[in-house]
Amino acid sequence: MNERLEAMKKRVREREHAKLRQDIEVQPDNDRYEREGVSWHGRMSDSFRALCEAEKPIILDGERIVFTRTIKGIPTPAEPPEVRAAREKGNGSVGVANISANWDLAVSQGLLKRREIAAASLERMADDEEAVQSMTACIEVIDAALDLAARYADEARAQGRDDLAEILDHVPAHPPRTFHEALQSFKFLHSLTWMQPTAHVTLGRFDQYMLPYYQADLDAGRITEDEAYELLCELFISFNKDNDLYPGVQQGDNGQSIMLGGVKPEDGSCAVNALTYLIMRVSHDVNMIDPKINLRVDTNTELDLLIEAAKLTRRGLGFPQYANDDVEIQSLVNAGYDLEDARDYVVAACWEFIIPSVALDVPNINAVNFLAAADTAIREGLAAQDDFDGIMDRTRQNIFDQVDVYVASWRRWSLYHPYPWYTVLMSNCLETGRDANRGGVKYYNCGIHGSGSANGADALAAVKTFVFDNSVIERGDLMTALVTNFENDEPLRKKLLNEGPKVGNNDDYVDDILIKLFNDFADACESHKTDIGRSTVVRPGTGSAMYYVSLVRCKQEEMMEPVVEGASADGRHKGDFIGSSLAPSPGVQIRGPVSVLQSFSKIDYSRICNGGPITMELADTVFRDEDAIRKVAMLIRTFVELGCQQLQINTLNVETLQDAKAHPELHKNLIVRVWGWSGYFCELDEPYQDHIIGRHMLAM
Amino acid sequence: MPVPTFLEYGRILPMQTGIVFDIKEFAVHDGPGIRTTVFLKGCPLRCTWCQNPEGISSEPQTMTSPAGERIAGQRYTSRKLADLLNSQADILRRNEGGVTFSGGEPLMQAAFLAEVIDRLDNLHTLLDTSGYATEQDFKLVAAKVDLIYFDLKIIDNNALLHYVAVDNTMIIHNLRLLPSLGTPFVVRVPLIPGVTDTDENLAAIAETVKPLAGLKRVDLLPYNKAAGGKYAAAGMTFAANYDESREVNANVTPFEQRGIPVHVA
Ligand code: SF4
Repeated sequence: MNERLEAMKKRVREREHAKLRQDIEVQPDNDRYEREGVSWHGRMSDSFRALCEAEKPIILDGERIVFTRTIKGIPTPAEPPEVRAAREKGNGSVGVANISANWDLAVSQGLLKRREIAAASLERMADDEEAVQSMTACIEVIDAALDLAARYADEARAQGRDDLAEILDHVPAHPPRTFHEALQSFKFLHSLTWMQPTAHVTLGRFDQYMLPYYQADLDAGRITEDEAYELLCELFISFNKDNDLYPGVQQGDNGQSIMLGGVKPEDGSCAVNALTYLIMRVSHDVNMIDPKINLRVDTNTELDLLIEAAKLTRRGLGFPQYANDDVEIQSLVNAGYDLEDARDYVVAACWEFIIPSVALDVPNINAVNFLAAADTAIREGLAAQDDFDGIMDRTRQNIFDQVDVYVASWRRWSLYHPYPWYTVLMSNCLETGRDANRGGVKYYNCGIHGSGSANGADALAAVKTFVFDNSVIERGDLMTALVTNFENDEPLRKKLLNEGPKVGNNDDYVDDILIKLFNDFADACESHKTDIGRSTVVRPGTGSAMYYVSLVRCKQEEMMEPVVEGASADGRHKGDFIGSSLAPSPGVQIRGPVSVLQSFSKIDYSRICNGGPITMELADTVFRDEDAIRKVAMLIRTFVELGCQQLQINTLNVETLQDAKAHPELHKNLIVRVWGWSGYFCELDEPYQDHIIGRHMLAM
Repeated sequence: MPVPTFLEYGRILPMQTGIVFDIKEFAVHDGPGIRTTVFLKGCPLRCTWCQNPEGISSEPQTMTSPAGERIAGQRYTSRKLADLLNSQADILRRNEGGVTFSGGEPLMQAAFLAEVIDRLDNLHTLLDTSGYATEQDFKLVAAKVDLIYFDLKIIDNNALLHYVAVDNTMIIHNLRLLPSLGTPFVVRVPLIPGVTDTDENLAAIAETVKPLAGLKRVDLLPYNKAAGGKYAAAGMTFAANYDESREVNANVTPFEQRGIPVHVA
């Protein structure tokens, strides 16, 4: 990056723009809404308009892509009386978050065209009260956005920035004429999306919808690759500006995720293009937490692209995350999505696979706790003198029971919160006069995470081998040890932990149990057909989100999911974490990443479409030279060729190493390159650990 | 001479077994492509700078660290080890890799190792050895593998004996056998400050390896101060009889002068 960009990044890191924030809070006009009986749509659009009007145009020194928030809070209007009454009867409301807008449509048509379409529907559907309320609200938010854009243009002129004023006079009202205008239009539309009560505003297939503008500029000789690089860097830096204002999430957990590569929806042909590569380079050089990069790959993906991706992985930012088209597209089709839609998939906040433009899926209603299902089955089955099949049957039943509870609760989420601004941004909503969240889109499915799968399978496998197949542990001894948290039987715990078969070692004995857990989960989801509210399917997933902490640390009364409150038969102490998404249980000995991929490749992903990555950590010293980076690319290709679904590679950084030093039992397999050799970090004496930490610090 | 394996004179012989102290996948610095490294236990050299102290004794031992305990040293039959490696053969082959046998000194268990290699499913194999073995053992394995990493420390025998428990005679003898075996090899020199990295020793190594056909290159591996890191976990004492804090002398000139490709890792 050049000096201008470095300076811009520094200013964002030092949060200079935050000093320009106004110390005001925009309140929804609830009294008037009540008095005048304003509709729910109208309340939303009015609050949005009020916030837009209170916003102050900010153009920072030298910026070429503008929009900076100045107001922290987002006004959330009171629900109308009939909604409040329904809520009191136990119904919940579904907002809109974690979805992907049709950025292509919104940017390419421009807001004036969107307004025209809404106005036509309003006229055509004058007898349809819902349509009138919705379209009126959409027109109001479009007008508010256009007004704010006009004030930005004025501010640019006032600052003598005629270059910017010309752009802002044109977008987001009209279709962009250049790549630069397209980026500015997108910046504006995306920023406004955060100005309603929502979370996780994902960026979708950025390399697809931005390509026409880039290509046209290249063809016309209006832009060079370097100029495009510079504009993209500026845009990417700007994603880190206001991310402290995004509601209700940890910083960074904001869904600003880009999905690159993949195939074209219309014919399934390769969609990788010049922007795919350029964006990866930009992300590498900008080196900030936002936007997060995802890359869709398949067996035809060029190793060269994976090498570029591996270079980005080396940065230690924890992305790109990889998704396998060969597996996921079919899985989505099996779940009932049209092929063209399935081919267009992106990720929501973290890893959940969603369809942009036409879906308002809620992929994270709850999480199945596999370890709880297994642990309860083991305790009850041992007490009831079950054989091992009996314990597996109980586990299956527990998984079904968990899913039943979640679906029953989801059914009660029947108040559909209107979102005028998102309605402007989605396909077919203005066209049909329907709010995106109230009938405007095609899919409203729900999804359930699947956490603790490795721990659950390990616990069951330990019982199978030690209690049943080899009879080396007495039922009673195991029961006592579990109840007492292994207090008087550390040797038993070590046996369970170190000698039991473990997921991650490509051992069918335990991997078969892992497969079974997910098949049971898929069966449980498929058993719900017509009783899932407005959803057509319940999507099972492999992710854990924050559940890898909460499912073993929280109190049961705080959680809808069953919490594992004690020790477990995989040799896990009470309160110890479970694995994140798909990863070997923390603290177990594994041989390395190839076996991990082999173990997790056995899951039948054709029935598991919700997402959740195989998560692995590589020391950054692995990436020493070009040759080693190429090997990382080959490892990613292996992930694809084995038929796994999703992969996240973390490059170890100093924080991980420090955590490994403080909690070595959780980082047993952390491998560091020390000299002409690699070693287990935790086996090194303290001074050597400090030495390596020091080296990693220097490397930053 | 072919090694007798299962059937000899009509009776079933027990399979060879060996002791392995670790298996690491995706060992990106241990040879070409994606490979798995098998660490065979036992080494008679006992170099004072050895960074794998648990590889020295031939017996299983417990490694104790804050991460918990693990047993270093597991007995495998040749079939069990080969099956384990073969379960990834497609992946290793597809990715230009294979298996590296390291240690310890893998040739301490030459018969076992030979039997494992015979059972491998068309996998690229690499032997990482100190060269300390009988001629018979050396030839047995060296002729079977695709590539050899031959670790050379000090040419001068008297100097060597200050740091290493055995002398060079067999090592140099085996080194000179390599051209006749036809297996390509890389000579690897750990640069121990003031010990192996002296200009004289590097020149002597260069002079020794220069005439050998099949030499691909020389790798110089700079010393890192973490060499002693695992001794406490292994219940052993690290006693460096050299100055660890000294800068290493990664002098490539003696090699370049003689036209030998050289690489500093
Ligand atoms: S030859 Fe290698 S394994 Fe053997 S003692 Fe020396 S450094 Fe250690």
